[in-house]
Amino acid sequence: MRAEILLIIVGMALATAIPRCLPVALLSRFEFPEKLKEWLSYIAPAVLAALVAVSVLAPDGTIAVTMGNRYIWAFIPTLLVAVYTRSPFYTLVTGIAVMAVLYNFW
Amino acid sequence: MRDQLITGIRQAVPVMLAYIPLGLAFGVLAVEAGLSVAETTLMSALVFTGAGQYIAIGIIAAGGSMLTIIMANLLVNLRYFLFSTSLVPQLKVLPTGAASALMLGLTDETYAVAAVHLKENPATIPYLAGLNVSSYLSWVGSSFLGASLGSIITSTEQLGLNFALPAMYTILLVLVISERKHLLVAGAAALACLVVAYLFPATLGNLSNIIIASLAAATLGVIIRL
Repeated sequence: MRAEILLIIVGMALATAIPRCLPVALLSRFEFPEKLKEWLSYIAPAVLAALVAVSVLAPDGTIAVTMGNRYIWAFIPTLLVAVYTRSPFYTLVTGIAVMAVLYNFW
Repeated sequence: MRDQLITGIRQAVPVMLAYIPLGLAFGVLAVEAGLSVAETTLMSALVFTGAGQYIAIGIIAAGGSMLTIIMANLLVNLRYFLFSTSLVPQLKVLPTGAASALMLGLTDETYAVAAVHLKENPATIPYLAGLNVSSYLSWVGSSFLGASLGSIITSTEQLGLNFALPAMYTILLVLVISERKHLLVAGAAALACLVVAYLFPATLGNLSNIIIASLAAATLGVIIRL
């Protein structure tokens, strides 16, 4: 274990732990105003929609809205199964299976 | 209490599954970038974050400095500020020390799962511990395997596992939407993050497009009356 790498890891650990823990550690004793609570309640749907958009439409780090982007084709049945079953298990199985088929046969 | 733990672990299964290809790939890339198996595993064990670790090994491979790595990580991790703050109202019922410690396990994925669950269920320590620790073990374990096995691992793409993460985001998005306003916010966020990424491609690399889009879309949600 090299000292320099160890320092990098410790620095990264702090740079990750602080934003994770600090808000809960410091803000829990305050009662948030209703407007702020409402705003915070929209964060989860917003973040998830952004993550879906990026992971499907820019899977390799650049925007790829093309017919050749397998992620878009796999997304369609995955979304349908998610909406109709509301089951994480069936959704994941569908997405993975469709992607495997697309990858190997197309 | 035991039920809560089991619920947490059960809900972690999709996250654990999604972390396998990501962790394996991270392990392989980290060793290629010059890290040892022990260093790779320690990084996953102490940092436990996908994007930040991928960026770090990219900078290490390119011969970049420690300061660059830590600054890049701070930037990428800004989203955790947002996630953690958004959970504060639900976590108030727990002792602050324990709740803060549990946030060490906060990732995009554990946040999304917890945010969906805590909309309708009270927060408990066993639930959050079950969810976060299971996910953590999958990440550390698969990083170790990837680093140890290295190039023996053939493409996990053949197995379709590269779609585990998008599929999980999709079902969590569907589950988190419970009113029309959420649909509007989600649509606005998806559009905004693509527009930002299109105009400023660098934001895709550090995920800042996701932060900008989420802040904007949540604000739109508060302003607009449906």
